[in-house]
This record gives sequence, structure tokens and C-alpha cells, in this order.
Amino acid sequence: MTTPKTPSEKQNRSIQRHNTRRNELRLDIAIGLLLLGLLIIIPIFGPGRYIIGQITLFFIWAGVVTNWNLIFGVAGIYSLAQMAVFLVGGYTAALMGFYGDAPFWISAWIGAILAGIASVIIGAATLRLRGPYVMLLTLAIAVMIQKLVVTDVECFYYEGALCYPLTGGPRGLMKFGDFGFREFLGYKQAPLGKYYLGMILLTISTIFAFVIIKSPFGSAFRALRDNQLLAASRGINRVKYQILVFGMSGFFTGLMGVLYAGHFKTIGTNMLEIELLLFLLSMMVVGGLGTRWGPIMGGIIIMVSNELMKEMGEWRMIAFGVITVFFIVALREGVVGLANNAWLRWRNRSSN
Amino acid sequence: MTGFLVVFESGLSQGAIYAAAAIALAMVWGAMGMLNMAQGAFLAVGGYASFAVVSTLGFPWWMGLPAAIIVGAFIGACLYYSTVKWMYRAPSYDTNIVIATVGVAIVVENGLLKIFTAYAKRQPFHVDGGILLDTVTLRYQTLINTAVALILMLVVAWLLNRTRTGTAIRAVSLDREAAELMGVSVQKIYLQSMVIAGAIAGASGVLLTSVIPMSPYVGHDALLKAAIICVIAGLGNIPAAFAAAFILAWVETSVSFLAGARFGFPALLLLVIIVLLWRPYGLFGRSQGGRV
Repeated sequence: MTTPKTPSEKQNRSIQRHNTRRNELRLDIAIGLLLLGLLIIIPIFGPGRYIIGQITLFFIWAGVVTNWNLIFGVAGIYSLAQMAVFLVGGYTAALMGFYGDAPFWISAWIGAILAGIASVIIGAATLRLRGPYVMLLTLAIAVMIQKLVVTDVECFYYEGALCYPLTGGPRGLMKFGDFGFREFLGYKQAPLGKYYLGMILLTISTIFAFVIIKSPFGSAFRALRDNQLLAASRGINRVKYQILVFGMSGFFTGLMGVLYAGHFKTIGTNMLEIELLLFLLSMMVVGGLGTRWGPIMGGIIIMVSNELMKEMGEWRMIAFGVITVFFIVALREGVVGLANNAWLRWRNRSSN
Repeated sequence: MTGFLVVFESGLSQGAIYAAAAIALAMVWGAMGMLNMAQGAFLAVGGYASFAVVSTLGFPWWMGLPAAIIVGAFIGACLYYSTVKWMYRAPSYDTNIVIATVGVAIVVENGLLKIFTAYAKRQPFHVDGGILLDTVTLRYQTLINTAVALILMLVVAWLLNRTRTGTAIRAVSLDREAAELMGVSVQKIYLQSMVIAGAIAGASGVLLTSVIPMSPYVGHDALLKAAIICVIAGLGNIPAAFAAAFILAWVETSVSFLAGARFGFPALLLLVIIVLLWRPYGLFGRSQGGRV
């Protein structure tokens, strides 16, 4: 039985929609604070250096994926050069530390800004491209960087009889200093410094991503992603938005690259390998492309399964491949979409 | 003169491989709008199929090629049933399929790693010796590979232009809905395209591994080079892809010869970046326009 809609009913629905939006925001804040609180107190239980290190790594990868998701999932620009941007940040800090003894606290900013600029250039290059051509162009950029650095064996700097190429070549760069937590907090507490630094960076990236997705920017991106022509004819300026999202996401990705370099005290072009790309891609896909919580949830799931499958050798990569294919084929909205649908169904049932 | 001959010979040798790899990629990309990132893994599968049949099971060396073609066709069908069949109607299929095929590539490569180990194998489909031209040897292998690539190109061109299946494939690639309304079964056409492309990829894998050592990751660079060729030559035009493969191989070997080996591949990558910046749908591609 359908009854004709009365104005008051219309009003009711508008209020209801407003309420759902406010509830959504409340839920986001609640989940966020819960997670953050949990992450703050985990070190108190003393889980050991290994777990702390792995969670720090989770912060780095979740941060990278959060920023990648802004470009890839929300804006729908399928860039595969994310790890190249990450390396711009990491290498800048590493090179400045290696050749100039620059402290990480300063070089981090320069690395992040350069990564943002590199990202803007990539974003500008992909402006006119669509779909698979974007992927091909960005992959070509990443592979070109990788090939040029890996084959760089010309001696640039000598340390005794040892010769170092400018970029470190296939071995990458080492011995370039770090954030100095060891001098600051002592050997025992140093991992905690990196842990909390990673947590803060991930939190800032996530808040930034949420604001972008929720703001008119996010709506503009979704409009451009879903129907570029229609969006353009409604006066949405693609150039402005695309440059902006690439710049900001590149900045935060570069910061994550610096954090990685400072955490592992080494950085190299092995970061551009396809295995790592799939690993990060699976986080984004499993979590849910373009969803707000996708990168964090996907990051947790993939990092935990990675830990569980540690002993399984090649089966581990096979499993990640199968998971990625399964989610992209059958569950395109990822676990977040799945949870969302389940929640909606439950609410509808209980309200009827 | 010697320099020219060196570049000519190694360019011919590379070009034959790129051409074979590019044919299958161009066909699937043109017919199904699918950039198949698993193509590189398929090349490796072809190489290992030949290795398994000849070196492990003891068949004569030339049996490697038909074995690779059969296994390649089979894995093409597997790719269709595992991904394409469920995806091609969904929105943003053209990009999601790239993600899916990256996943498939990782699965296949690590599967090969598990079965055959990372230790580099020697391709049994291999002929030693050659003709001495001035100071440079024109290897028999290069001639065989060029001939096989040429045959593959002609077969595919014939299939696409002279057979009913080919007509249907072209119709689907032009306008899927219209072709479906005319009674073409899109699913069948996609399956057939994948099987043909898989078979060609298997054969090109044998050619590829006859020149460079076989490993599960052997197809990575070849895949990217094939994609570059497709962008330069345009999609669906198989003879153009064939010609572009040799031209680009000569460009690459010339750059390697003149500027140093490490700049050969990056030069090609730079070339494709420039081409895409200048012509976003490839050198001969057309803008699809768009519907509002």
C-alpha cells in the first residue's frame, strides 16, 4: 500500500536524512576514538619490540593506502605511481641525511613537499587520460624510475675503498640517520617513539581524508569519477580538484616514505616491486575502494593475515592474489561496504 | 657497419618477441577493452609449459611450441571464467579488470615459483648457431622467432578479418550492445578472444624464453613493452602492432648501443609517457567521446 506523500512526510524524510548523516559522523568519531584509544594503550601491555614494529609498519602502510584511496578510490584516477611518490619522500630524507647529515625533523618536511610536487606533476600528466591509460602512464613512470635507479652503479661518493652511486643503486641507501629517538628516549623506548609518530601521522592523514571525502571536494570527486562529462557541464573544474588532491595526498604519502626510511634505516627501489603494489592494493580492495574506513580496515585485515601466513612462503602471495581477485570480482565494496549493507538491513528490519 | 649490424640483429631478435607479446595484448585490449596485466605471467606459463613437456617429459624440442599454445589457451579460458565473465557488465570494468589481472598475475607467478623454483631454467626450444654476416652472427634462433611471430600475426589477422568469429569479435569491440542485439553472444566471443590471446601468449612465452633465461617473472618487462607498443600502434590494428614492435625494438637497441644498455628500456618508457601526454588515447587511438 502506498499513500500519496504529504508535505509533512517529505519534511520528516529530510529530517531523517539529516539525522542519518549526523549519526554517521557520530559513528565515525566513535570508531575513530575507540581505535585511537586502543592504539595508545597497546604499548602499555608491553607486547614486545616485534609487535610494536609491526604495528608501526601498519601505520605506514595504512597511511599510504589512505592517501592512495583518495586518488584511486574517491577521485577514481587509477594511479599506480603511489609508491614512486612514497620513494620521493623517503629518498629525499635519505639523501639529505647521507650527504648532508640533515636531521630527519627538517628533511621530512622537504621530502614531503617534494613528494607533493612529484604527485602534482603525475596528477597533471594524467589529466587528459582515462582508465587503463592512466594506469599505464603511471606504471611507466614508476618502472622508469626503478630501472634508472637499479642500474645506477657509477661511483659518486667514496668511503675508503667502498663506492656509492648517487642514488645507492640496486642496494638502496643506508646509514643516513633517523629521527633520533634512540638518543632522545634511550634504546629501550626508541621503538615507541616511532610507534607514536606513525600513529599521529596516520591519524592526521585519516582526518584529512575524511574531511576531503565529506566536504564538497569529495562530492566533486565522486561526481567527476562517476560521470566526468555531466560533472564538467555542471561547472566542476576537474583541473583544480585533481591538482589539489594529488598535491595533498602526495604530501602525506611522502611523509610516510620519510617515516619508513627513519623506521627501517634503509630505503631502496624494491619498494616499487609489483608484490608490494599488490599487497597495498589488496588492503584498499579488501577494505573497500573509495570508502572512508576501507584503508584502515583493509590494512588491519591484510597485516594480520600477513602475520598469520608468515611461514607459508609463496602461498602467502598466492593468497593475497586470490583475495584481491575475489574482492574485486565479487565484493567490490569491500568489508566496509559489506558491514554497511548489513547494518542498513538490520536497521530497516528493526524499524519495520 | 658492425655497429649497425649489431643493432639490426639484436633489434630483430627483440622485435620478434615484442611483436608476439604485443599481438595478444593488442587483441584483447582492442576486442574487450581489457588491459591484461596477467599477460606477462602467461608468457612465463608458455615458457615453462615447453620446458615441462620437453625437458621433463622428454618430447622432441619442437613439441614445446604446440604444448605452450595448448596450455596458454587453457589458462586464457581460466582467466575468462575466473574474472572477465563476472565483471564485464559491471561499472568501471576497464580499470577493475586491471586490478584483477594484477592479482591473477601474482597468483600464476608464485604458482610457477612453487612448482619450478626460482632457479633459472633453459628453454629447450632453442637452436644454436647462425649465419655470419660480415662480423655479426645472425642467429638461427632470431630467424625462427621472427618467422613464428610473423605466422602468429598472420593467423590472428586472418582470424579477425576473414572468419565469422573475427567479424563477431570486431563487432563486439565496436559496440557491445549493438552486437548483442544482433544475436552475437558476448560471453562466447570474450571466451574465444581470451583463448586465442592465451594461445598466442603461450607461444610468445616460448620465443621470449629462448632468448633470455626463464624465471617466473620473465614476462614483466615484455608485458610493459607490449603495452607501450599497443599505445604507439593503436588498439586492434594487429599488423601495425607488429611493425611498431620491430621499430621500437630497434629504437631500444640503438639507444642501448649509443647511450649505454641501462637507458634502452627507460627510453621506451619515456617515449610512451610523451606519446600519452600528447595523444591521451595512443598515437592512433580515438577519443571515445562520452555519454551524459
